[in-house]
Amino acid sequence: MTAVPTSKGAGPFAGVALSSRQGGAGLARQLQALAAILRWRPLFALGYVIVIGVAACAILAPWLAPYDPVTANPEAYLQPPSWQHWLGTDNTGMDIFSRILYAPRTDLTIALLGTGVSALIGIPLGAVVGYYEQRSRLRAAFSVTVMRSADVLQAFPVFVFAIALVAVFGQGIVSVVIAIAFVNIPIYLRLMRSQVLSIRGMRYVDAAFVAGASDFAILSRHILPNAVGAALAQLSINIGWSVLLTAGLSFVGAGVVAPTPEWGSMIATGFQNVTTGQWWPSVVPGIALGITVFGFALVGSSLEILADPAQMRLAVRRREAR
Amino acid sequence: MTNGTNAPTALTRRDTLRLASLFAASTLAGDLIGGTAAHAATAGTLVVAAPGTPQSLDNEFDGSLGTIDAIGQLYDSLVAYKKIPDPKVPDVLREDIVDDPSLPGAAHLEGRLAESWEVAPDGMMLRLRLRKGVKSNWGNELTAEDVKWTWDRKFALNAIGGFQVGLMDLASPDAVKVEDRYTVSFHPTHPNPIMLKIQTHRYANIFDSTKCKEMATAEDPWARKFLESNSAGFGPYSLKSLVRGQQAVFTARPDYYLGKPAIDTIIYKEVPTSATRTALLQGGAVDIAQALQPLEIKQLGKAPGVTIETVDASSMMWIILNAKVAPFDKPAVRQAMNYAFPRDAVIASVFQNIASPLKGCMPSIYPGYSDAFDQYSLDLDKAKALLAEAGLPDGFKVEIAYNAGDPVQEPIALLFQTSLRKIGVELVLRKVPAGTYFNEVSAKKLPMLFFVDAPWTADPVFALRLYFYSNSFVDYSNYANPKVDEMIEAGSQMTDLAKRTELMLEIQKIVMADAPWVFVASPNFTMARRDKVAGFTYYTSNSINFADFSVKA
Amino acid sequence: MALARYILRRLIFVVPQLLGILMVGFFLVKLIPGDPAVLMLGPNATPESVAALRSSLGLDQSIVTQFGVYIGHVLRGDLGISWQSTRPVLDDLLERFPATLELVTLGLALALVIGVPLGIASASERGGSVRRAGDLYGLLAGAIPDFWLALVMIYLFYSVLGIAPPPLGRMDIALSNPPFVTGSMILDSLLAGDWEALHSVLSHLVLPVVTLGLINAGPILKVTQSTMLRVQASDFIRYAETCGLPRKVVRRQAIRASLPSIVTIVSVLYGFLIGGAVLVEIVFSWGGAGQYAVQAVLNADINPVLGFVVFSAVFSLVVYLLVDLAYFMLDPRTRG
Repeated sequence: MTAVPTSKGAGPFAGVALSSRQGGAGLARQLQALAAILRWRPLFALGYVIVIGVAACAILAPWLAPYDPVTANPEAYLQPPSWQHWLGTDNTGMDIFSRILYAPRTDLTIALLGTGVSALIGIPLGAVVGYYEQRSRLRAAFSVTVMRSADVLQAFPVFVFAIALVAVFGQGIVSVVIAIAFVNIPIYLRLMRSQVLSIRGMRYVDAAFVAGASDFAILSRHILPNAVGAALAQLSINIGWSVLLTAGLSFVGAGVVAPTPEWGSMIATGFQNVTTGQWWPSVVPGIALGITVFGFALVGSSLEILADPAQMRLAVRRREAR
Repeated sequence: MTNGTNAPTALTRRDTLRLASLFAASTLAGDLIGGTAAHAATAGTLVVAAPGTPQSLDNEFDGSLGTIDAIGQLYDSLVAYKKIPDPKVPDVLREDIVDDPSLPGAAHLEGRLAESWEVAPDGMMLRLRLRKGVKSNWGNELTAEDVKWTWDRKFALNAIGGFQVGLMDLASPDAVKVEDRYTVSFHPTHPNPIMLKIQTHRYANIFDSTKCKEMATAEDPWARKFLESNSAGFGPYSLKSLVRGQQAVFTARPDYYLGKPAIDTIIYKEVPTSATRTALLQGGAVDIAQALQPLEIKQLGKAPGVTIETVDASSMMWIILNAKVAPFDKPAVRQAMNYAFPRDAVIASVFQNIASPLKGCMPSIYPGYSDAFDQYSLDLDKAKALLAEAGLPDGFKVEIAYNAGDPVQEPIALLFQTSLRKIGVELVLRKVPAGTYFNEVSAKKLPMLFFVDAPWTADPVFALRLYFYSNSFVDYSNYANPKVDEMIEAGSQMTDLAKRTELMLEIQKIVMADAPWVFVASPNFTMARRDKVAGFTYYTSNSINFADFSVKA
Repeated sequence: MALARYILRRLIFVVPQLLGILMVGFFLVKLIPGDPAVLMLGPNATPESVAALRSSLGLDQSIVTQFGVYIGHVLRGDLGISWQSTRPVLDDLLERFPATLELVTLGLALALVIGVPLGIASASERGGSVRRAGDLYGLLAGAIPDFWLALVMIYLFYSVLGIAPPPLGRMDIALSNPPFVTGSMILDSLLAGDWEALHSVLSHLVLPVVTLGLINAGPILKVTQSTMLRVQASDFIRYAETCGLPRKVVRRQAIRASLPSIVTIVSVLYGFLIGGAVLVEIVFSWGGAGQYAVQAVLNADINPVLGFVVFSAVFSLVVYLLVDLAYFMLDPRTRG
């Protein structure tokens, strides 16, 4: 919604970000540009550290966690942080530190699948819609229909829509993934459409058209590779956002099934203990969740700059100005 | 602005208020509370923080806490138990429910709407003589016709009242006879030893039939629409306003036959989360906080200005094991579930010892109860052996439903899950929203569900018949043992108290062995109140009567 | 007249869109398991009475017919009855929507006050630390769950410090509500001249409004910053700079040029928050429309969900229309 199409005109660095082929040389140049961005804003590097760290937690949790994350222990009921339980225990005696380490397995799986599905549907659909717009009647009608449907989806209150979806499909990871995918599709749809609209007017597209290339060939060979950068940059931001949405759904009781370690449901379960003074069951998972989303947002921002020649130019200018 | 000056206005305005729309009524009622009250209880007002306002005021159809509380204020029954000090908490009064064969109905009763009563020696008739000059909140005098209409309604609508009709063993409406203007009698088909005790049931309240008939219509001959949001009874309070989801306001009736209650106005506020109810009581914004969590009760015990009184209660929490769903059709599997349940650990952790382990299949405080048949303590080896015996040595996978509105159920389910995992049983949790939970329970389809309930009449036949008689609607476990059915039927008609008690012990023994439930806990009833509120009396309906209370200056 | 024609054209689009929203909502909610008749009658109902209620509610008809009937009712202003509150949904919503609206409006106002200046400051070439702080804030605000922040604030300011009122609705329960006029408690207590109520209302608003404001300042900051950056790099600003116009004047021009983006993000947030503030509403027991709708979805109470969807969709559409009209008035290009 906030991603405004920006690729107007080709600046000196446009080639870096929007090289029309993803060859080995292109990739190397992209990495170089990324390195430039990270040098310019070291904070972004922290983002990569966080994302890699969280992913590592998810993978290594069984070796890192001192306790099983779903084994209740009435002996250790609601204990404050101690040497035995670094971050305390919850109201079933489960170890909060272990649960926090395991949580990204759930949260990241949901967020990656949810955003992945929505990108897989939204990106091609958006490309086709953008490409067909202002074409022959039937194709234009298709575009308009898709866009109006997206309007309808987006006009829905997100939470009510997502909870309703979970209510329909039953509590569980799959339902949350479906809900997140649905909510995110319009974002990719719009982003791709606007990108494609601006690229479609480029000379090389006209050239391909004149050369008699099929619609499919033009789209897949010339337009998609150039337009997809912005959408991919959006992915990372969306993953963070999906983690938040998952947590929110769990908070109202429409998320994962207990005792699946998941940050949002941990916050929700600890909610009633906050007022009786046991802050750790809900405050600590919230911090973990915040750090994770923060990391993905940082990575997303760096990718956004990478995909956006205008900002790229600015970044370089700033670096040179020093 | 104080309440004293406002109370008279309140009463003269009452009729206009009833005509006003619900919302307007609530704002006006708000006016009358008094604006400057930083603390809720000025002289004549009691503010109660409750989990929910009454959904319906018609007790034929609704059994939620809000409704139960409201019925106690708006209506009165024919007789009530005498009160004695609680043996453990002497400041608290409770009903004297010990059986006494020398008394009619074997119960220590005192008159309410009835001033005298007699039971035929053969148990075939109960006659009650009504108090004269008792007025309803609509000004109509209590007569035998009101009692008759109340029971006719139970026959006709056949919901909760239908169950009472069954317990009274009344064949038709004609079994309730008006003998004269102030005398009414019940005539059961068979000898019935608990007719009189049933009259103490909180839902044995008497309606003002004159008003109800006035409000009835051709499509709605039993005034259901009217009684859903209004009252017509002889109780100590009248309803000033009810805005569901927000609050109900009750006003003391100066013409109540036992004298005007000490507290003029009761504001019954809906506060859905228990944490907030706790905070409100601690801060002094409310005078009584209901249905708190064990940890909150612990915390409030240390708070200045707050008094906690916690007493043994009739309430029981158990896990329904649906005998019609495999593998719970096998008693050995049901026993195994009980042996795998960490009952003592649950009481110590989740309940913070503000409950006792459930060691029987009826309330421990009732006459005729015995814990001698409790064989279940955590024993995983035994549980495993029982599963193997039932042909399930590798365990099985099963879903347990719990009520999202009751915060102790999820942790209990999780503790159970961990324990069951050790014997190969995979327990999958399913959270059900509070609003639809009871529908799941009464559908009797799911394999395992938490349930909290109490039989309100302090009698073993009543209690056992509720949950273990295969014809009972409340037999949520689909438990059907022909022998138990037969014994319950026999017990229902047995007038010899000693023999009857023996038979009930036999039933308890069989049921405990058959294990249609996982026996969880018997939670205490806890009154969390400001120091200045006095008069807490415990009732087996696990609700409170505001007329018992007074506010110290 | 161009303006009237423009509005008319917009309204033509609005009608099918609303219909589409209603349709999706209707079929989605109908898929939620749970028979409304059973829920309304309660567990003691007989099968006959369930069947009777089902037919009187029209539940025995085909779903398409039901939808038609529903649309008919909506057009007459009848949104049905909630089985939970046993009241007409329209009445419930008219009571609760203002609560949400007041909260969201103030929250957004605060977000603007925080987000726009920070965004502008962080977009300026100078002041590296300000910019970095702005960047950090924008990212952090987007990373923190609002319900968690609300919890932490309650813990700090209510449980520990004891300076905030209990998280229980819009005002002290011991006080009487000011007479209902606008539905905004602030305005209503002002109109009634009830200063005590006003004080209580304001103090209850602080924590939820600050929560929403702090969180939503994030996107506003980001949009302001990125738009300002782009505008500053644009030809006309560079031209202005080259011409040697004073820095202040150039900046004012850049801010002006960034305004449409800011208005857009605010309108988007406004529409989003009507339903999106629900978690904060729940934490503060606000009794708003979002909370009502979420309770309804969880309890398979269909009419309130649809009613809320209608309300919020209409609200979003009105906001978007106003924004478009603002553009239309401001920008001559859209008049073509």
